[in-house]
Amino acid sequence: MANSIEVRNLTKKFYIFEKDYYIFKWLFTKQLKGIEKVALDNITLDVGSSEMVGVIGKNGAGKSTLMKLVAGITFPTSGTIETKGRIGSLINLSAGFNPDFTGRKNLYYKGMLMGMSREDIDDIMDDIIDFVDLGDYFDLPIRMYSSGMSARLGFALAVFSAPDILIVDEVFSVGDKNFQTKSKAKTTELFHAGKSVLFSSHSDKLIREFCNRVIYIKDGKIAFNGDVEDGLAMYNEDVERQGKK
Amino acid sequence: MLEAVKYVFKEHFDNRGLILKMAIVNMNKQTLRTSLGVLWLYLHDFVYFFVFVLFRVLMAGSGQIDGMHNVVYLVTGLIPWFYINEVLNVGSASIKSYRGIIQSIKFPITVIPSIEITAIFFKRMPTYIFIFVVCYIYGYLWDFNIFLFLYYTLCMLMLIYALMLVISAFVAVSSDFQQLFLVTIRVLMYTMPIVWGYKHIVGIPTLNYIIHLNPMVYIINGYRDAFVVGDIPNLIYSAYFWLFVMALFVLGSFVQYKLRRYYSDLM
Repeated sequence: MANSIEVRNLTKKFYIFEKDYYIFKWLFTKQLKGIEKVALDNITLDVGSSEMVGVIGKNGAGKSTLMKLVAGITFPTSGTIETKGRIGSLINLSAGFNPDFTGRKNLYYKGMLMGMSREDIDDIMDDIIDFVDLGDYFDLPIRMYSSGMSARLGFALAVFSAPDILIVDEVFSVGDKNFQTKSKAKTTELFHAGKSVLFSSHSDKLIREFCNRVIYIKDGKIAFNGDVEDGLAMYNEDVERQGKK
Repeated sequence: MLEAVKYVFKEHFDNRGLILKMAIVNMNKQTLRTSLGVLWLYLHDFVYFFVFVLFRVLMAGSGQIDGMHNVVYLVTGLIPWFYINEVLNVGSASIKSYRGIIQSIKFPITVIPSIEITAIFFKRMPTYIFIFVVCYIYGYLWDFNIFLFLYYTLCMLMLIYALMLVISAFVAVSSDFQQLFLVTIRVLMYTMPIVWGYKHIVGIPTLNYIIHLNPMVYIINGYRDAFVVGDIPNLIYSAYFWLFVMALFVLGSFVQYKLRRYYSDLM
């Protein structure tokens, strides 16, 4: 496999059950009483190493679903996804933290959830402390943190866990200006080290700044795959046309 | 079906280290912010137990239950029940409570109930000392049979693991089921010979039979055998128990296997 991410004929449907208990009928008889919603429809996509691909599209177009599928958090209805190497997902940064543990203990805890050993965390601990720059807060329980602070911790753990593929779902808005600059620098550094980054954002500026290719997802289908400027132009045109309606 | 069972076994085997480590971390999750920590839990148990003893003594005098001193009868039934009860309450919602993790980190979902069950077991192991203390005070200690004790502990864990495989999956995808299950637990304790003796209903064969259909009764009676009575397990009842556990395990594996790809969408 030459590419880091290979997606073939991927379709993802969500099932919405009208009544809670219909789920049991579906479990044992495969009979579906409810609505089927197509989130992604027959998507084929390659991401090579050292590529930074921006994913754009309206809310609900399927961007996050695609990110989650690649991260292995949710599973395709049909089609395949193959990924190479360790995946670092910046999807919900403070997920998996225990509010009563200190920042330090939470790094070990979440690291364990992600399948890292204590030694793995020990190795990157100093880098993370330096990067998150939390000062005294680092050894206080996370429930005392501001939301930005715990997000910083989550971000640091994901990027320092040596991922081969980094999945960034609209998270550069966390943290203060200083931290944003740092996190952008760190992401760029990973990208220069030959890692692949899948990056979703609503900010044209960030997409231009980071990505060397863009995918425009429209109603669950890939409407455009290629040059950043062309993709953004097409997307913005669609947005404007809808705004006028 | 076989595929599902294999899948659950494999996921447990591959993550055995994770289960153990997570169980140790989760042991005092609920009492982390308190000054007494896990001691609070033992205090709960003790007060709860004491209320039952008081109730029993006030109602029936300090007599015997089924030929056993009633404090001893209560302690051998209640202490294992406290463990089962906590697992039914906490373990059943385990997958649901990991929702945030399931939806943002790739995680072996079928081991989640096992993590919680193991954590609760570690946490409650010291409460078994209380049975020994009470048995010593009332002079029953020399009847203790370690092999029966270990056997019934194994039985209890196996039943609980298999049951939680099913229940935690259903609770995760259906809030209706969770409510139904919680209502069931409220009644469950009083359908078992934990705080009352059942020797006087042996005369009503149908009722006696129905009570023993509950596999938890096998464990509750078993602990009394291990500490006081010393009877070896009834062969037919044991066979029934293990068949029940196996059936639960197969059902649980099937449900978990089928749902494993849908949890993050359905929760």
